[in-house]
Formats: sequence, structure tokens, C-alpha cells
Amino acid sequence: MAKEKQNKSHLPFRLNILFIFVFVLFAMLVLQLGVVQILNGEEAQQEINKTSDTTTKLSVPRGLMYDRFGRIILDNEPVRSITYTPPKSGESADKRLDLAEKLAEFIVIEEDQEELKDRIRERDKKEYWFLFNADEATERLTEEEKDLENGPQYQRILDKITAADYNEYDWSDKELLNIVAIKKELDQAYELTPHVIKNEGVTAEEFAKVAEHLYELPGIDAATDWSRETVYGNTFSNFIGRISSSSEGIPSENSDYYLTRGYSRNDRVGLSGLEQQYESELRGIKEEVQYTIDKSGAVVGRETVVDGQSGNDLVLTIDMELQKELDVIVQEELEAALQQYPGSNRFLQDALAVLMEPKTGEILAISGSRYDREDGTYSDQSFRVIYDAYQPGSAVKGATVLAGLDSGVIGIGTRIEDKPVKIAQTPEKSSYNNLGWLNDRVALERSSNVYMFHIAMRLADATYRYNEPLYGFDWDSFQELRNYFNQFGLGTETGIDMPYESVGVIGANQQAGNLLDIAIGQYDTYTTLQLAQYISTIASDGYRVRPHFVKEIRKSESEKGQLGPVVKSLNTDVMNKIDMSDQYINRVQQGLIDVYHGSRGTASSSSYWGEPEYRKYKVAGKTGTAENDIYENGVKVGNTENLTLVGYAPYDEPEVAFAIVVPRNGKELKGYSPHHNIGKRMMDAYYNLKEERAKNGVSEEIDESVEGEGENEEVGGQE
Amino acid sequence: MSSKNTPNSNFDYTLVFIILLLAIVSCFAIYTVQPFLPSMYEGTNFVLQQIVWYILGSMVIVVMMLVDYDRYRQVSWILYGIGMITLLMLFLNVPAPIIHEVNGARSWFIFPGIGTIQPAEFMKVFLINMLAHVMVSHNEKFKIRTIKSDLWLLLKILVLSLPPMGLVATQPDLGGFLVLCAIVACMTLVSGIRWRILLTIMLTMVVSIGIVVWGYINYPDKTKEIVNNLGFGHVESRFLGWLYPEAYGDSGYQLIRAMLSIGSGQLTGKGMHDLEVYIPERHTDMIFSAIAEQFGFLGASFVITLFFLLIYRLIHIGLQSNDQFGSFLVTGIIGMFTFQIFQNIGMSVQLLPITGLPLPFISYGGSSTLTYLMAIGIVLNIKFRTKTYMFD
Repeated sequence: MAKEKQNKSHLPFRLNILFIFVFVLFAMLVLQLGVVQILNGEEAQQEINKTSDTTTKLSVPRGLMYDRFGRIILDNEPVRSITYTPPKSGESADKRLDLAEKLAEFIVIEEDQEELKDRIRERDKKEYWFLFNADEATERLTEEEKDLENGPQYQRILDKITAADYNEYDWSDKELLNIVAIKKELDQAYELTPHVIKNEGVTAEEFAKVAEHLYELPGIDAATDWSRETVYGNTFSNFIGRISSSSEGIPSENSDYYLTRGYSRNDRVGLSGLEQQYESELRGIKEEVQYTIDKSGAVVGRETVVDGQSGNDLVLTIDMELQKELDVIVQEELEAALQQYPGSNRFLQDALAVLMEPKTGEILAISGSRYDREDGTYSDQSFRVIYDAYQPGSAVKGATVLAGLDSGVIGIGTRIEDKPVKIAQTPEKSSYNNLGWLNDRVALERSSNVYMFHIAMRLADATYRYNEPLYGFDWDSFQELRNYFNQFGLGTETGIDMPYESVGVIGANQQAGNLLDIAIGQYDTYTTLQLAQYISTIASDGYRVRPHFVKEIRKSESEKGQLGPVVKSLNTDVMNKIDMSDQYINRVQQGLIDVYHGSRGTASSSSYWGEPEYRKYKVAGKTGTAENDIYENGVKVGNTENLTLVGYAPYDEPEVAFAIVVPRNGKELKGYSPHHNIGKRMMDAYYNLKEERAKNGVSEEIDESVEGEGENEEVGGQE
Repeated sequence: MSSKNTPNSNFDYTLVFIILLLAIVSCFAIYTVQPFLPSMYEGTNFVLQQIVWYILGSMVIVVMMLVDYDRYRQVSWILYGIGMITLLMLFLNVPAPIIHEVNGARSWFIFPGIGTIQPAEFMKVFLINMLAHVMVSHNEKFKIRTIKSDLWLLLKILVLSLPPMGLVATQPDLGGFLVLCAIVACMTLVSGIRWRILLTIMLTMVVSIGIVVWGYINYPDKTKEIVNNLGFGHVESRFLGWLYPEAYGDSGYQLIRAMLSIGSGQLTGKGMHDLEVYIPERHTDMIFSAIAEQFGFLGASFVITLFFLLIYRLIHIGLQSNDQFGSFLVTGIIGMFTFQIFQNIGMSVQLLPITGLPLPFISYGGSSTLTYLMAIGIVLNIKFRTKTYMFD
């Protein structure tokens, strides 16, 4: 007994030690609790009250486009959308259901109950049941099935869920259907990529509710997007251009350029045409909103840091009514030429035309039609007016004669005999006939090639004798002649307000004969727009003006269709005044009048512009025909001609200038002239509209009956 | 040798009263956090369920008291065996269909219709019973203590404790493992093993911890590598989250939120249902933060005081018991409660690293509440059958 007692005596002592230890531990707890709650408690509360700010940039509507009479041609169609962006590596099914339930309080994904029912498939019901009965469902698997990979195992689990299971829930309950339909959308989203949950028929109320509760809807965003809508379909859409979608965002190759200018990666930017050219005006200024968020994540304040400003609107120089008519004319004439002479016109595919004001550079209408032989369709490819360059033929002779007059190698009235010119070792060159002795003015009227050759040779200080080499040829004359041409815009940039324009091809081969060819438009190539600028320069007494599509930049008005105050007027921009005396310009103008009105003018016959109904338009200008042999794989397969026509009217007070190019016409077709047909109908259209407007004013709405390009296929744009 | 053994006078009403208070605090605290739970728990009434657990627990107490606690010794090996077998089943993942894995920890059996059962919880009590039995048997056998007999006892304790500790640690359930450590440590302390041996063990542990800390400071990379290779990577991250909560994401984030929540409760709290800091799953391990935020230092101290009274009462009963087996049992139970309380509250006030352990009697949970009430049943039984020697 004594031993046992001794043995036991340690116990109370050690238990007391334990008790002291426990006491110390509990004392530490209370002490630390005091430190945390009483000493540092206030600090913790301040930390909770502390808020953080996040700034969000909200996009503003992009500027619209109007035609010259204020008719809207490019509109914004607002699209409200509710999107879901899952976090990195996704979100668990439970969380998604949770989110769907919350979201279902604010939006109805489909109003129509039957439609909604159709959306929910059996699998969706099974998945829903599984979320609440995961354990039970997993029970049902066999041992082997439990060893399966997650994917196949899940499929097995779903297979084993029966209708009796999921019919535990009431699948006629609209709210349940809505939740499951929303969850279905959430399930489809990929990590970090916004997925649209609803963007059709999102009501203002739904949108506002979701926007208010964003803080409790992680990953959900309520955003206004818009789609660009060309009011007149394809008409002029080539030049309006394209913008990126929000999923494309800014072009990756230029991302630095855009990012330094305050763009976000998913911003929509103009990628081509006027959308690109006037990006800085159209984009507007994003609204910056600073949200104040407390520790719990609730938004406690909202302050606009930067007021947003909608993009500025563009008022274009285009007359949409005329544009539509010109499109019809160009395509119909191309069709007519192809239908009447399918054989000899087997290389014909394009017809291009541009109409502008010579004194202001405002482009009224610009049109190009292309025939696709593969599928027999016509499409609007008006961009070719500024992208494609051709040898224009004699149309440039006005510039050649002015170069001759200004350089003094000919004077007013200088007579030269039109007879074949032959330089040793080169083929003989001539006009279409031997025209005999003629002066500068008649040389234009009758389109003498030989007269131009002599101007060129004299510019080169060369001594010409039949079938002998040119003696003393000054090679600088190439540059000299081209400098003259450049003054009219030929072979240089026209300065059009487009992201890209072609300047044509300057021939690199310096042979004396090529100088002669330049003089008759048979060597260097020019775009249709360059020809229009050239003829406009002559029409406006030597002032070369920049052709342009945009007339005014205006502030956007909240009311659609209302033009806001002018921010900037893009007035006439004279690029240069040609350095020649008015006397010479007048002389060439005379020659160009004779082309259309003279007894032997190349455009004055009764089948062209000789009838009184066309004479009354008082057109002056020049025709052109350039040989254009077609080669395929280095083998010549056909002879064609580029037909060109440039002009302005009326010649005493020019208000309109045009250039028409129909490349690759069958050569055998003397007499069939699509370029004249286009020109005549174009003048008709222009003056008819003018007369109509003088009587009735400018119509607000464009008569849809003139729309004739219904068969036009969609044009991808020029990028 | 006359003894008085009147059941009524020996029934420990004080202890029952303390437990009743804790039960009320538990249900009330769970009630206050119910609206703040994630919506996946919507529709589950945790208060009601906790009440059900307490009622079931009361029945367990009654069952525990039916037999003389001395009888526990006879079934100690069986209970220990059952505990080991269930832990082994979890370890081997058989039978797979009823094993429930949460966040990668395989700690539960799932019985459809009944719920989940966590064997590690029950193992705590079974191990206490086992060790108490072995220690008493040993002490009876070796009436005269020698170094040799002490070491022999130590070996027995280790052989019995290490297997369950290892199995719990590999689940992995760090919290459960630490509780088992605390139980073994407390029981070893009172087992009668000489001070010199105990001090040697303590010294060894202090030195080893010192070496790890020293290595960590001077050769952080190398030490990290070794720590990771030994499979203690997640322990390291818990420690870092504790020391530098701002820098270490997951566990650090939890700690920061808990500190904000508790701290902002200040002296008197914000009032019922006024919880500003969002902490997920607040009805289980983090319930103390909810009490501290709503009812402040006063409310939190009240709970701690209740716990202190509980431990005090347990020690009192342990001291009163004139039977070694009873004292050993009570000591194990004291170790279990003390560690859990200290760890659970300590981790949310940055005294200790974050570890998933419920707060005894307060946190919502079936297995844990039943286990703790079973332990209380044992203590009541011991007290009930304590013979008061008149001449003592």
C-alpha cells in the first residue's frame, strides 16, 4: 500500500503542472485577443472601411457618316449585351450555378416559355440534378467506372441519371428553366474570354439591374456594343471601310501604336477606308469612371473622372443619290459591253468612273464595277478608282501640250505636219491617220500623236530626221516632262483622304521612244482618280486641288439625324497652281472644247456627244485609247485597249469634272464605246438631279427605285 | 474501508452546466452566421442539425455512463483496433465507394442517409483509452520504477501512438495529427516516467526545432528542399502564411481576413448579424471569428472563460479521482481539448499557423461534437464512480 501511494504521489503534482501550463496558454489567448481587438481593433476597422478605387473606361458611340446633303449613310445600331468572363482556369460548377441563380433574378434569357423549354435538353436537367445529388450519383458507378478519367466517368454518371431523378424538380417552373438556361450559357464560356450570355432583346431594365449588381456577379459584365450599319447597303461601302469587332480588337501588328494612344486591346478601330483614315475623329473620348470599392467588394461610390464624348460625325462630299445612279450606270454599261461582244471583250472586266467638283476637289460619286468571269457576277469594287492604274492613252495630251507651250518648244499656233515618225531601229509611230499640218489646238481636237511626239522630241532638244537616231537627246527631258505631268497630279499622289492610294507606275526604261510614249499616255500608268485631278486642274485654270471625301467634321448630336456644330471644315485645299500663264491654259481649254464640239473632234460625232441634248451640257475634255496587250505567263494572248474619257462641264464655268476608264476592251470594236456611254448617262444623271433639286429641293429620302444593284454580291472591302 | 457512493451527490452538475452553456453558445453562434454562408448551403438549417448532434451526444453520454469506466479497459484493445482498421481503410482507399475526399484529404467515410464520419475524431478517444490502459497495466506490473521500466513504458506509448498518428498525418490531416501529439504528450507527462527522461525528450525536441529554424535562416534553399522532400511542403507554407500573411497567398489571406474580422469587433463587438468581413465556411473552423466580431472582446473572453472553466473542472475531476486509470483518461481528454481550443483560437489571432481544427463544442460538426461529448461522458463516468475515502 505504501508503495502504491508513493507511486501515485506524482500524479497530482504533474496534473497541477499541466494545469499551470493550461492556464498560461489561456492567458496567452486572452492577452493576444486583447492585443488584436482592443489595441489594434480600431486599425482593423479602419482597414475594413478603407476603400480602393478602380477606374473603368467605358466606350462611347463611334461617329456617324452623312452624305453631302446630311442624309445619314452610316449608322450605329446599339446592342446591349450581358457577358460572362470566367476567371483563369475556370470556375467550379457549383459557383456557376450560384452565379446563374443570382443572374436569373435580373434577366430572363428567353421570354417564350416553349422556346425556353426547348433550350433545356435532357442532359442539362441531368447535370442540374447531379449538382445537388453528386454523392448519390457517384454511388451508382461500378468499381471499374470509378477508375475512369474524369470526362468519361462524368458521362457514365449522367447516363445513370434517370428521368425519375431529375423530375424531382418541376421542369415547368419558369424560374428553374431560366436558371438552367443561364447556367448553360455560363458553362460554355472559356477562361478569360468574354462569352455573350444574352445580347438579343436585352431590355433597358434588365441591363440596368445587371449593371447595378455587377459587384456581386463576378465575371459578369453589362456592356453596350454597337454594330455599324450602312444605311444604303453596299453603296459606297468600299470607301466607308471596316472596323474591327471587339473580339478582334486593335490590330496586333500595330498594337503599340494604338496602346500609346489610349486604346484597350479589345477596342474596335477602323481597319480600312474612311473608318481608318478618320479614326481619331470617329473614336471619340472614352468616359472614365472611378468606382470606389470597400473591403467587402461593394461599390460605394462612382465618379466620372473624364467625361466621355461621342465620336465626331463626318459629313461626306458624296451625293448618295448620284452615287447610287452612277453605280447602276457603270455596271449596266459594263454588262452591255460584255453581253454584246462576249468574244472580243473576253478580257474586259472593269469599268471605273469618278465625278468630282473641279474647283473644290469634292468627290460627288465614285464607282467601279467588276465582272467575275468565274461565277458570272458583278460586284462593286469602286476602290479600283484609286488603287488600279492604267495607261490612259491620249487623255493626257492636254498636259503634253501645256508642257510644250510652257517650255517654249511650241508657241500658240505652232504648226507641225502629222506624218509617221520613225526613229532608227524602232517601229514607225503615227497617229491613227496622217492628219497633215495642224496647230496645237487642232492637235488636241483631233488627238494627233505626231504633234505630241514632236513636243517630246523638242523638249529633249533632239534633232529628228526620218529613220535616223535622235541626235543630241537630253535624258533629263524624262524628268522634265514628268514634272509637268506631276503638276496635274499625274504620276504623283492626289492627296485623297484615304489610307492608301496608288500613284501608278513610272516606267523605268529610259529609251528615247518611251519619252514619246509618255507624251501620248502610252507608257506611265495613272489611276482614274489621277486623271480626274488632272482634268480638274485644267478646268479650274491651273489650280490643282486635293480630292476628298470628307467635307466637314461635326460634333455628334444626341438626336440621330441632326447634324451637330461644325468642328472642322475640310475646305478646298489647293495643292499647287500650275506654273503656266493663263494664256496657255486657255488655249488648251479651247482645244479640249473642240474635242467635244469641234467639227472633227474625237468626241464630237453624233454617236458620241454630237447630239444637241449632250452639246447643251457644254462638256470639254479629252478621249483616250491606249493599246494594252494582254500577256499570260509571258505569252501575248490578246490585243485590248484601255478606253478613257476625261472631261468637265460646263466649259465656261466648270462645276463638275469626271474621269472614266474602261480597261481591256476588245480592240476590234471600233465604234462601241462604253466610256462614252457611261459619260453621257453620268452627265444626264448629274443634270437631271440638279434640275430636280432646283425644283423640289434635295430629297430627304433617296428614292429606292433607283436602286438597281440588287444582284451585287457582298464586297469584302479593299483590305 | 468505508466508502460513500451515492450516485446523486457524485454526478457532476457543474461540468454538465458548463457543457450546456457551450451548447447554447454553439447554437447561437451558428444561428448568427447562417445568413452569411455561401448560397450552396441555403436550405440547410445548421442550428437544427447541431441541436440534433447535441441530443445524440447526450445519449452517447448516457451510454458511456451505463457501465463502470473500469470496463473500458477491457475493450480498449478492441476500440483501438477498430480505430486503426478504419484509419487503414482510409489509407488504403477501401472500400472506395464510401470514402469521401475533400480538398485532397481522405478523412471521411460517407454513409448515404446518415452522413459523413471522420474516424480520426473517434481515434482520439480510443487512443486515450488505450494509452491509459497500457500505462496503468505497466505501473501495476512495475511497482518500483527504474530507468529501464520507464523507457519500456515510453516505448509502449510510442508503438501504440505512432501508427495512428502516421495514418492521420498522411490523410493529410495536420490538425488531427497535432491533437494526437498533444494527447500523447500530456499522458506521457502524467504517466510517471521520470523527469530526467521527460526533460531529455523535451530538450531533444527543442534542439531539433532549433536546428530547423537555424537551417531555415542560414540555408533557406537547402532546408526548403529537405523539408519538401520529407513531404512537409504544405506545413512550410502554413508557417510562412502565419509569419508573413501579406506575402503568402492562401493561408495568409485567411489569416488576414480572420484578424480583420476579430480585430474590428473591438471591445464590445458590432452586434448580432453585423459581420463585415467575408470568411467562407464560417460555421465550422472559423466560428470563433464570428463570435469575436459580433460580440467583441467581451463575448470572446466569455467563451474563453467557459473553456477555461471546463479545463479547470476536468483537472479537478482528474485530481479527485483516486484511480490511476481515471486520472490518465481525464488527462488525455484535457490534452485533447486544451490543444484544440488553443490551436483554433490561436490560429485566428496569429498566435499559431492556420490549421483546420474545429473549436470543440462550438463549431458545427457531427463527428467532432459526438467525440467531445463521448469524452465528457467518460469524465462524468469517472467522477460518478470516484470513491471518496472517508479517511483520505
